[in-house]
Amino acid sequence: MVRRARFFFVLAFRNLTRHRRRTVVTALAMAVGISIYTSMDSILVGFISEIDRNLVDFEIGNAAITAPEYWDERHRYLLDRLVEDPEALLRVLEEAGIPAAPRTTFRGDLIVHYDPFPEDGSVPMVFAGLDPELDSRVFRLREAIVEGRWLESGREEIVLGRWLAEQLGAEVGYPVSVTTRTRDGYRQFLELEVAGIYESPNPYVDRNKVHLPLDVADLYLEMKGAVTSIHLKLPEAIPGTADPAPARRVLEAVGAGPVVALSYADMTEEFTEMMEMEEGFTNLLLFLLAIIAIVGVSNTMLMSVLEREREIGMLRSLGLHNREIRLLFSLEAAGIGVLGAIGGLALGSVFTGLLVTYGVDYSRLMSEIDFAGYRFDSVLYGVWNYGTMVSATVFAVLVAGVVAIFPTRRILKKSVTDCLRHV
Amino acid sequence: MITIKDVKKDYIDGDIKVHALRGVSMEIERGEFLSIAGPSGSGKTTLLNLIGCIDSIDGGEISIDGEELARRKAKELVEIRRHKIGFVFQSFNLIPVLSAYENVAIVLEMLELPRGEIRERTMTLLHEVGLEGMENRRPSKLSGGQQQRVAVARALIKEPLIVLADEPTANLDSGTGEALLKLMKRINHDRGTTFVFSTHDPMVMDYAGRLCRLHDGEIESDEKRSV
Repeated sequence: MVRRARFFFVLAFRNLTRHRRRTVVTALAMAVGISIYTSMDSILVGFISEIDRNLVDFEIGNAAITAPEYWDERHRYLLDRLVEDPEALLRVLEEAGIPAAPRTTFRGDLIVHYDPFPEDGSVPMVFAGLDPELDSRVFRLREAIVEGRWLESGREEIVLGRWLAEQLGAEVGYPVSVTTRTRDGYRQFLELEVAGIYESPNPYVDRNKVHLPLDVADLYLEMKGAVTSIHLKLPEAIPGTADPAPARRVLEAVGAGPVVALSYADMTEEFTEMMEMEEGFTNLLLFLLAIIAIVGVSNTMLMSVLEREREIGMLRSLGLHNREIRLLFSLEAAGIGVLGAIGGLALGSVFTGLLVTYGVDYSRLMSEIDFAGYRFDSVLYGVWNYGTMVSATVFAVLVAGVVAIFPTRRILKKSVTDCLRHV
Repeated sequence: MITIKDVKKDYIDGDIKVHALRGVSMEIERGEFLSIAGPSGSGKTTLLNLIGCIDSIDGGEISIDGEELARRKAKELVEIRRHKIGFVFQSFNLIPVLSAYENVAIVLEMLELPRGEIRERTMTLLHEVGLEGMENRRPSKLSGGQQQRVAVARALIKEPLIVLADEPTANLDSGTGEALLKLMKRINHDRGTTFVFSTHDPMVMDYAGRLCRLHDGEIESDEKRSV
């Protein structure tokens, strides 16, 4: 059977050369489909990776410790589910070699006044009190400072994003006011100064968050040392894939109070929808690729089979079984799939290479529209996704091979004599 | 070797039932050079197709080497074709993308013989049919006579029990057709291969050791001849 199969391979390959133009056009259509699929997948995976990276580096780390149920309720910004003794936890985490950064996230109104600001106004904001020293162990916000300086403990100051600063007309040294509520729900008023302006690749942080020293937040919110969360940086190869087990082991070992260690997946359930959308879009592209392969290859094979009806009759009279003739035509169609896949990979590699190197510049779009929730900024880069390339290749070859069965079967339903009579 | 007993075959042509064979009986012995002659529509190609296991019998019996065809399943008939029957067609039916050598060797490839044996047998036969030096030519680079020689070699290569040739000289000029007939006659003589032709070419009839005439699906005459 192996010998016979080898001969069928040779014959199938030769048959591809009968109508070179037809073969090339079909393979080219498949190649374009595959290249679009792999390129789109590259940019979509890059998009998701960028979101993961921005969430990990600027918002939530890759794991966090919070009070139970805090995370689900976090958008209400109530200071009633807290990590009461973060110091003790930070100590054991330090001993376990896990970088950790406490934060207290709360809501308030940022108030600016005419002179030095261009006009009076207030805007609801999310504020994050952070430890200026520890924060850099987990987050990269400090690296993103482009004007002024990073926060210092004990100083009543803020850092804010470039986009927000431009909207407010804020500059380093400008005074701002904040109204909020304390842990116990009393109104509180803070007077702070802009210490620095950052420009991070995370537009959500740049637009919606204002950061101040944790001890200042603790003082004015009367937190009594409690924080809303402790963010962690666990070892991981790909952002967002860290295993939170080490943090959970630490919590169990010290018998920490009512707190839980959340994984990145626990914290980003709302993004699952986005991931599913990405998956849906990729599947749609795969479906379109299948349509191209099915329509293109089946049409080519139908013509090929119809033209060679008498030859099929001859092969059957020589003693070839129908399954062998089906195999012969499937191999021929798979050959078109292979050619399409090679072309598609070559073309897709060029597109992906351009996307990986130069990316797609969304800066103009992103400056005009606030895509709340989309954590990517200006240039979106593609990634090399070898798995997709391999699966697209296998898919194209398989679909092409399977599709050829139908026109061949149509001819094989005819008698040998009918095939031989074909003119 | 081949027994044909009261064989009937009907075709439906639109609303009309055509009786292609109306109870044909004959015996074909090993080594015969038999020509089945008759006008168009006499049933000669139908008879060849039934002997060649590529069409089904509506009545009667055909047995090859004691194997009755009517009781065989389709897959078994394929195996009989693969091992015992060689075909030569009027329009050669060579595979255009294969060389002369490959068009012949394909038969042995299907039988999965050792490569060395395939090569030796194919080259020997191509030499025997006068195609030495043309093994690597594709059909488009061969004349009609040369293509039909390849087809004859393809039919003979598996050393079949019988070679069925459906009007093998119809697409050849008379000189080439006669050369082909001489070739087949020689092979019939040297190898003892049984040949059965369908034809209405008088030259083919002249070469036949036995001439069976069909008319309207019935045997009109069946005579052995000395050629």
